[in-house]
Amino acid sequence: MPIEIPKDKWPGSVKTITLGANSDGGTRTSVVTVGGEKALPFMHFEAETPYRPAVAIEIKDRKPDDWSTPLSEAWGDAMNDPAKWARAAEAAGADLILLTLSMTAVDGSPNTAENAVAAVKAVLGAVGLPLIVFGPGNAELDNALLVPVAEATKGERLVLGICEDKNYRTIVATAMANGHLVSARTAMDVNLAKQLNILISDMGLPLDRVLMDPTTGALGYGIEYGFSVMERLRMAALQGDAMTQLPMIVTIGAETWKTKEAKVGEGVPAAWGEWRERGINWETMTAITLLESGADIVVLRHPESVKRVKAAIADLMVAA
Amino acid sequence: MYIIGENIHIISEKVKEALKARDAKFFQELAVKQVEAGAQALDINLGPRKADGLEVFPWIVETVQAVVDVPLSFDTTNLAGIEAGLKKITKAQPIINSTSAEPERLEKVPLVAKQYNTRLVALTMGKSGIPVGADERVSIAIEALIPRMIEIDFPMQDLIIDPLVLTVKGCQEYCPQLIEAVRTLPAAWDPAPAISVGLSNVSNAVPNENRPLINRVYLAMLMGVGLQLMIANPLDKEQGEVIRVIETRDESTPLGRLYLKIADRIAAMEEPQPEDVDFGDPEQVAIWKTVQILLNKVIYADGYLTQ
Repeated sequence: MPIEIPKDKWPGSVKTITLGANSDGGTRTSVVTVGGEKALPFMHFEAETPYRPAVAIEIKDRKPDDWSTPLSEAWGDAMNDPAKWARAAEAAGADLILLTLSMTAVDGSPNTAENAVAAVKAVLGAVGLPLIVFGPGNAELDNALLVPVAEATKGERLVLGICEDKNYRTIVATAMANGHLVSARTAMDVNLAKQLNILISDMGLPLDRVLMDPTTGALGYGIEYGFSVMERLRMAALQGDAMTQLPMIVTIGAETWKTKEAKVGEGVPAAWGEWRERGINWETMTAITLLESGADIVVLRHPESVKRVKAAIADLMVAA
Repeated sequence: MYIIGENIHIISEKVKEALKARDAKFFQELAVKQVEAGAQALDINLGPRKADGLEVFPWIVETVQAVVDVPLSFDTTNLAGIEAGLKKITKAQPIINSTSAEPERLEKVPLVAKQYNTRLVALTMGKSGIPVGADERVSIAIEALIPRMIEIDFPMQDLIIDPLVLTVKGCQEYCPQLIEAVRTLPAAWDPAPAISVGLSNVSNAVPNENRPLINRVYLAMLMGVGLQLMIANPLDKEQGEVIRVIETRDESTPLGRLYLKIADRIAAMEEPQPEDVDFGDPEQVAIWKTVQILLNKVIYADGYLTQ
């Protein structure tokens, strides 16, 4: 008996956004385009998925003090030099780099604009991949570091973050003035996510230069809540709600590697298995789960997770 | 529409201060103002008052009862405080607001209501919280609230079921379900229990300038499913106008026709349609956008009207 598979036909679609530029001030040798979905993730029989979800690798402007041992073992000495780290990330298969600026220098003094600009320029010089730059996550310091970075890299179509409801104006203004994009973060709440997009749009930044970071929890730490929020935002986008039609980025590595399962190697039950493998599995499973909820860019930390997630994406992108 | 006035509420800074000062005149004026604006009962929410309930509740009853004759509704979890207040009632049959289906409350509160011959508001909330679905809320009424009333021989005409309005900001998926619960609940028993809702809860946490519109549009939808009783702000004139328009089926103004159409559509189990709306009129556009968020068609954001 022939079975007809029911198909959804959605009236809306996600905006298509290109990160990085190779002209008009842009020096990237590759750019990344995401978004454009007209159906729920990987429902190839309903509509073509125009762009493959991208995998970013997160690096920092100096060796972080609090990253888990499996991560420092994987990256080794490269962590002491953002340019080397970026090259290692490129070699590990990153589609793009996320550079998180540190709160402080190694000696504990606050990070400076000079250091931030130097780190960003070093990474841009070392690799041809598009770049996302996040401040340390403190409103005042984010603004102090990101504005000079944006000005020094005019035309590169960087993604600047983190825009939050309490602190988005300065970052959006400098992105507008210097031809960059922004990432808008809210804490797992559909109403707040939409509201922040409205506020950014009201400032005059076209929404095809905004990524939405709905945040998430790692596997075992609220991932189902993050999943539901992303799923709901994506369905609203497909239903035609313009203020939710933005590609979504999730910082999975940062969430995963702070869980006890990934971060801690001693004093845990033997049944948990080998530490490195456990952490990689945690990161990989979190990423693949959220790709299924509509993530367009997953930001990872471990090179082995990148390999596995990219393989999974390749499989998911094959139309049945 | 029978309105239980909501304005004597401890969430208001003025009420908080007046209570601290035991400012009888303040409460008397607020009571009279609400009754003059059409409130047929007054809700009194002064919080749990764990420390001073035995003194505060009798005081507020005597204060308010000195100037108005309408029923007073004790909106608190402090059962001993309620009893102390009930002992001072000399006028209309009072209301206890509320019990829920949580076992401890459902055991004790209805007994007090029966003993003092009060009406009783019963929330469709069990020990695992407020269910999203309309059916689950109706089930709580049928399986827990009503059986308890029968068990203690509580007069069914004194039962008021409140299926619990939650805010569109954060609990958006509850909004259309609540409408369906109000539609279905009267069939839960014969004679049908009275249904009441706390209307303005629908706009909790919403910026103040948008609250009255959301309240009014939701009210039109709820009147479509037969709502006849609510705890609300009787001083909101535009809200009173929506009530009048729908109750009298006044089709003389375009805006009134839209509110009436919304009520009729919901009554017929339909969704309001674009053809019901004059999109050249910004007021009608705002109402249309509000319908979309209340039916959970479009995700709520504080700036939803500007979008």
